[in-house]
Amino acid sequence: MTKRTSKPVRLIGKGMPRVDADGKVRGTTRYLNDIDYKGIWHGVVVRSPVPRGILRAIVPGPAFAGDNLVLATAKDIPGENVVHMHDRTMPLLAEIGGEIRYRGEPVAVVAAATPEQAAAAARDVRIEVDELPPLLTLDEAVAIFKSAPGKLDTMKEQTIVKGDLAQGFTAADDVVEAEYWAGHQEQLYLENQGLVVFPQKDGSILSEGSIQCPYFPVHELNDPLKLPPEKIRVRQTPIGGAFGGKEDYPTMLTGYAALPALKSGKPVKITYERNEDILFTPKRHPVWVRFKTGFKKDGTLTAIECDYILDGGAYLTISDVVMYRGILHCALAYRCDNVVIRGKVARTNSFPCGAFRGFGAPQAIWGIESHMDAIAARLGKTPHEYRLQVHARPGDVTPTGQTLSDENGSTACLKLALKRSDFARKLRQASRGKLRKGQKKFVGVGLSFFAHGSAFTGDGEAKFKAKGRVELARLEDGKPGINIRVSSTEMGQGVHTIFTQIAADALSLDAARIRFPMADTGLVPNSGPTVASRTTMVVGNVVYRAALDLKNQIESFAALRFFKGAPAELRGSRLLSKGARPVSFETAAKAMLAEIGSASGFFEFLLPADIRWDQATFKGDSYPGYSWSANVAEIEIDPLTCELEVKRVTAIVDIGRVINPVTATGQVEGGLTQALGYAVMEKIGTGKNGLYDAARLQTYIIPTALDVPEYDVKFVEYPYSFAPPGAKGLGELPMDGLAPAIANAIEAAIGRRLRQIPLTPEAIFAALHPAQGGTP
Amino acid sequence: MSTIRRTWKINGKTVAVRFPAGRRLLDVLREDLGLIGSKESCGEGECGACTVIVNDEPVVSCILPAGQLADGTEILTVEGIEKKRVGRLIQQAFIEVGAVQCGFCIPGMVVSSYALLCKNPKPSTKAIREGLAGNLCRCTGYTKIIAAVKLAASRIPAAKRT
Repeated sequence: MTKRTSKPVRLIGKGMPRVDADGKVRGTTRYLNDIDYKGIWHGVVVRSPVPRGILRAIVPGPAFAGDNLVLATAKDIPGENVVHMHDRTMPLLAEIGGEIRYRGEPVAVVAAATPEQAAAAARDVRIEVDELPPLLTLDEAVAIFKSAPGKLDTMKEQTIVKGDLAQGFTAADDVVEAEYWAGHQEQLYLENQGLVVFPQKDGSILSEGSIQCPYFPVHELNDPLKLPPEKIRVRQTPIGGAFGGKEDYPTMLTGYAALPALKSGKPVKITYERNEDILFTPKRHPVWVRFKTGFKKDGTLTAIECDYILDGGAYLTISDVVMYRGILHCALAYRCDNVVIRGKVARTNSFPCGAFRGFGAPQAIWGIESHMDAIAARLGKTPHEYRLQVHARPGDVTPTGQTLSDENGSTACLKLALKRSDFARKLRQASRGKLRKGQKKFVGVGLSFFAHGSAFTGDGEAKFKAKGRVELARLEDGKPGINIRVSSTEMGQGVHTIFTQIAADALSLDAARIRFPMADTGLVPNSGPTVASRTTMVVGNVVYRAALDLKNQIESFAALRFFKGAPAELRGSRLLSKGARPVSFETAAKAMLAEIGSASGFFEFLLPADIRWDQATFKGDSYPGYSWSANVAEIEIDPLTCELEVKRVTAIVDIGRVINPVTATGQVEGGLTQALGYAVMEKIGTGKNGLYDAARLQTYIIPTALDVPEYDVKFVEYPYSFAPPGAKGLGELPMDGLAPAIANAIEAAIGRRLRQIPLTPEAIFAALHPAQGGTP
Repeated sequence: MSTIRRTWKINGKTVAVRFPAGRRLLDVLREDLGLIGSKESCGEGECGACTVIVNDEPVVSCILPAGQLADGTEILTVEGIEKKRVGRLIQQAFIEVGAVQCGFCIPGMVVSSYALLCKNPKPSTKAIREGLAGNLCRCTGYTKIIAAVKLAASRIPAAKRT
């Protein structure tokens, strides 16, 4: 008799514990530096001692007389000396006679049998450079832009135009114009950068390490290494945090290690210590943004004009795409018919900036969300009522001409944030620079509201066609199960867990039968980089569809093999067919593996056929979907020391279908904490010598357990129905909007607006005591 | 450089070690003894990823010259903590509440949590924050880590608190 089966357990939407937590709490997870490689050499990068000049000579000293040591320079590059990135301009190593463009630019790589020997030899290389005057900072670039815009050295420019800006300003009753500055930010993943390159007998290489996007080196080092993609294999070790910091940079690092590896025939490991990691890896871009907005007496926005300039550093690398994401988020969240946004990537002689969670959007949102409060103040409206009036909602048209669908929970985020934080009441009680009776501290509350575009910009996903496979396999215990084969990397964000949930639900199997091995380009199809808040939405959909494909195959097999051709359904780890005794998944899968060998489901991501995007004009559907959030920050400021304490943060978030509420909440809390650091304490810039002016954890300060506020995180779900299970992007959104919410709260507390982050006590003091000129 | 010889009790076992003067405790643990659970991140005592317990006190092993530890010193690392009842409760609680993301800081967090709960089995939120203030985490925002320590504390039987 067939027992009536109860409904199988669904994992999507449940807080399933992480699949990788056990090894992490026990300390048995082996990160790169925990792996005992035999016979490897150690590489050290030799760098330019000046920010700009002509490289004249690389002179190795007596340390190079010994054995077991190799020095690789540009002469040892097998092919063309260029790393693809986005414009094919950056050399892998500086050339003799060529221009050095930033301090720390790699000129050679030393490798030796011991780290000590390699370090000593690297110190014994003399670099001769004829120095040239550098332009080091965004401040200098913006000064040029203001005095002689044509003289600004830009590496990329892009403009967004909607409607008629001049008409918009003509129709305006009033105009508010202001500038906002944001500084560098260091990712500060706890595990430093590192990888090992193993030269192979056939001339190919294998790179293994803390690598966020394994397919990047595969496609970006073909020219310098003179190797086709299939001869560059990359696999990830467990990653101790990345946040974008291990997105673009490991391509360079793989190139640096590959040169001495290919020259010596030895595997070469390069791993940075914290000091080198902070000084010589990419940061979040500093940005200057100027908003000029026209509006009617009733508050209707008639014109938004925006200039957004980011400091790309010495080479473009990926800064064009960061700028695109930035300008696409400058005026995304509000209704306005006439918009012009001009984005520019300025070139400076500083370390090239790179990816960091948010990717241009936090700087844009820092500007517009500060500015919206300034407009509200001019209108005599409260910041929340004004946002409720003019915020974008379904049916509205974005600056690029995209009509927002019903799957945008913008209004719900805003309203729930105001309600849960009791915003209106707290705003009325804000100090505005005057301590009330009995109060020892200024109190304030601030709001921000914003969206984050999920996945690649425009038709990027349509062109990329993320691929993934889900295959039947024998697991470690000898019993059959499922392998997930995608290139998404686990960096702490939880993808191994949520894809396990998605595959288990699609197949109606127990999560214990699902295995998700570390990404290895030799084994997995290219599902794209683990970036751009795309993984759960795009690759999650690929896993879901591929799993359904495999489920069909298992069911067809079982129908013939066990049920005389009658239809079968895989449900709750059993194959069911009407009137027949159920067959366990284990039995059916074993039979399938024995008879066919293997089976796999495959899927290639598609976007709806009607998606429109014109890269030249920046018109059309700029992202497949949008996540939304509203943040409320409640703060206190000590009037004497100007110390700022963020007491409580409310974050209401629409990320579509929440796959795992526990990991999702953890992502939000963690992102908010990085945003807190960005907003109030993390300070680093390019110093006069061309080096970052903070180089260690004693000088670059990030939030500790004592600094974090109480968080109130709630989700409202407006699923992306085109791509089941319906998730939208989450990774970057929590990084986007806390800084302006805190600046707005500071304004409510002290009656002064700060226009530069980080919002340090020194800056608050200067705002409160302008006559004293700043530093107390 | 002269060689130092010591006999310590590491994770409950007597272990004889020898190392050059100036060698850091972290290197002795990780490289000489294979106890790779303790991590190196900042190398200057700021981040706490290398935290171990020396004679009942949490210390950052990356800036502690191993030669400063006398014969008979008791050292507890994350590898030893899971053999302790409270240690296992802490690890379980970290998993249950979702306090783990990339995991690199977590061994140090578990060790600091253990040191805290051994001294103060029912800590206030403020005491937990202070107890973990020397351990940096870049992923979680600490909220779930603090919740995990609270949960573990709530499960420590009143009579057996070590």
